[in-house]
Amino acid sequence: MKLYEHEALESIYKKFQIPSPKFVFGVEPTEKVREFIEKQPAVVIKSMVLVGKRGKAGAVKVVSDKAKAVEVFQDLATREVYGEKSVGAIVCEKLDIQKEYYLSVTYSTKDRAPAITFSEHGGMEVEEIDHSLIHTYIVHDVRSVYPYQIRKFLVEIGFSDPEMLRPLSEVIVSVYKAFWETECRLLEINPLVVAKVGEKKKLVAADAVVLLDDDASVPPSVRFNARGGMGRPLTQREQDAILIDQGDHRGKAGSYVELDGDIALMTFGGGGSTVTAETAIEAGLRVANLTDIGGNPPAEKMYKIARIILSKPGLKAVLVCGGTASNTRIDVTLGEGLAKALDDMKAEGVLNPDLVWVVRRSGPEYVKGLRMLHECFVRNGIKGEIYDSQLPITEAPLRLKDLLIKHLNYKPEQIV
Amino acid sequence: MKGPVYLNENTGVVVIGATGREASQVIKESEALYPGIIKAGVTPGKGGSTELPVPIFDTLSQARKDPAVGSKINTALIYVPPASVLDAVMECLDAEIKVLYIITEHVPIKDSAIIYQEKVRRKAVIVGGTSLGCFVPSVGRIGAIGGKDPSIAFRQGGLLIISKSGGLTVTTAEMFKRRGWGTYCALAIGGDIISNTTYADVLMQVKDDPNVKGVVMLGEPGGSYEEQAAELISSGVFKKPVAAFISGRFQERMPEGVAFGHAGAIVERGMGKATDKIERLDAAGKKHPVKVAFYYHELVSAIESLGVPRDFEDSTSAHVAPLYSTIG
Repeated sequence: MKLYEHEALESIYKKFQIPSPKFVFGVEPTEKVREFIEKQPAVVIKSMVLVGKRGKAGAVKVVSDKAKAVEVFQDLATREVYGEKSVGAIVCEKLDIQKEYYLSVTYSTKDRAPAITFSEHGGMEVEEIDHSLIHTYIVHDVRSVYPYQIRKFLVEIGFSDPEMLRPLSEVIVSVYKAFWETECRLLEINPLVVAKVGEKKKLVAADAVVLLDDDASVPPSVRFNARGGMGRPLTQREQDAILIDQGDHRGKAGSYVELDGDIALMTFGGGGSTVTAETAIEAGLRVANLTDIGGNPPAEKMYKIARIILSKPGLKAVLVCGGTASNTRIDVTLGEGLAKALDDMKAEGVLNPDLVWVVRRSGPEYVKGLRMLHECFVRNGIKGEIYDSQLPITEAPLRLKDLLIKHLNYKPEQIV
Repeated sequence: MKGPVYLNENTGVVVIGATGREASQVIKESEALYPGIIKAGVTPGKGGSTELPVPIFDTLSQARKDPAVGSKINTALIYVPPASVLDAVMECLDAEIKVLYIITEHVPIKDSAIIYQEKVRRKAVIVGGTSLGCFVPSVGRIGAIGGKDPSIAFRQGGLLIISKSGGLTVTTAEMFKRRGWGTYCALAIGGDIISNTTYADVLMQVKDDPNVKGVVMLGEPGGSYEEQAAELISSGVFKKPVAAFISGRFQERMPEGVAFGHAGAIVERGMGKATDKIERLDAAGKKHPVKVAFYYHELVSAIESLGVPRDFEDSTSAHVAPLYSTIG
């Protein structure tokens, strides 16, 4: 889970004494915000969004004219950045920047260990920094990292400022500790600046990108508000789907991500869902949602997610697809849960009779489950084809595509 | 010795967290199908319980000292909740167990990083987290892989299937079985960010194993484990035919950080993209017997074109008719 910059500053930087600029967060220009602006000779105002590259989108502004600061704050606190609405803005003191470094800690899958990445050439996007100027220190003993080790590393990579050697090594260790103890996946500071304060030079973290491990021992959604990963607020259907699994650990049916397309997916298993969605998209089908149902959910859960998936307006087809389940009962999920959803929707007059269906599924009690679903199709006048695992899983989306072209004159997207 | 290091005729399993819902079902099913592989179970407070077809102990050290089963245990199957996995792994490593499976999903990455460093220090083999287990048709299975009726998917043959996704491991074995190829070993390595057994680790283990006629590798976005396998093949160390499929190209058209499927399957910071992995494997394929399938089901034609011999007859027609149709 990604944190907003103000959350990272308040809950992580403070605790681990990572030096950061004076700042104030606000949703609107409160008295506190106005006072802060009054006290500073100049300020930096930033939109609080999860999406990156804010600077390029004009969502970070340096304001020296105090008369304009409140107006800028109001704009940045409410504007949309790459389609994501700001949750507020922060006002920071403007630093006298001498130098900009890049610093991050994340996991290296090459070394299967935490990796501290440092460059003296920060400030720009990390992808744009010349590769030879980026250096990585692998933490081979995760439980002990000392500043002397970091100083040794910095000297080895030819770090150019002896005066900053000790303070930088100490900041890097604080950042590593914050990463490790708060269970991050990524903690990135770009830039970590050398600022002039009076006659002294001081390190200040002028940004905070923090991704917490969703599997951390304390789940991040408990510590912070839950948020969608799409850089937009959750849709009503996505929120409804989350509720399905809350307080009920029997299987998983509540993963639902809404997209723009017209082909609904009811897919099963992590890997199976991914390859099915993949093939559908590669074949030019405009996918309406992603799901990942598994772990033998009870019929009620399947009923609920089916109704949520089918409630999206403008659907043309439904692909029900999964591999050969080890655990998930096909009679329960498809024969009972899905079939009841279809029966009820038909009775309520909300089942679209023109939808084209392809079903491909196998696993425990699949013969019975697929027969029950077929009977449901017949009694409700639903049009489609039902397969078991004789059909390779990823041929199912291709069969659906053929049916769509034949029956609905569907025009698949041209994917290059 | 019949079977690879992951599961062979000498394998004797202890299940940690044996009396939990999932673990007890797996013990019952596995012992009915392949009796004798599981020797004991451990659940603190349930020692002496006779509900399961294997003896249950309070601690692993008691199980190891048991005159009947203690000396036969050399492999651990871990089913404890995420917060207890690190503890369970340390208990197993301290008891000198050298092959471990972590079935538990959602292990904190921090704990995984500690586990990996301990594994290296103690020279153990650990598969997972998020592994579904291992299937070796000539020996049996570890974990739930294949469910109640593994014969649907598994028949003895020459393929080594390595997959992050457990479900796809079985689905792939079945797809190949229908077309005439059997499995030598199917290993679900899990999709965690810190993976204790990677594709490259497995390839190194079996590079000289004559039972492996061809490898089917199923990859996902995130991390660099697929790239490491491509590097190993490019370096000429692994010479057997490899058919690979990397899922998740479609994620590249979505915002970064959209989690879908496994925890590790997140495209992050412009690294570990599906297309990066495909590029590396394709490059390895210029000089070595490697083919990347565009569609998942094209893995079959990839294995065929790499010249991996069929183990038995092709039993599926080229065009599969629907079981039921309600459309003209």
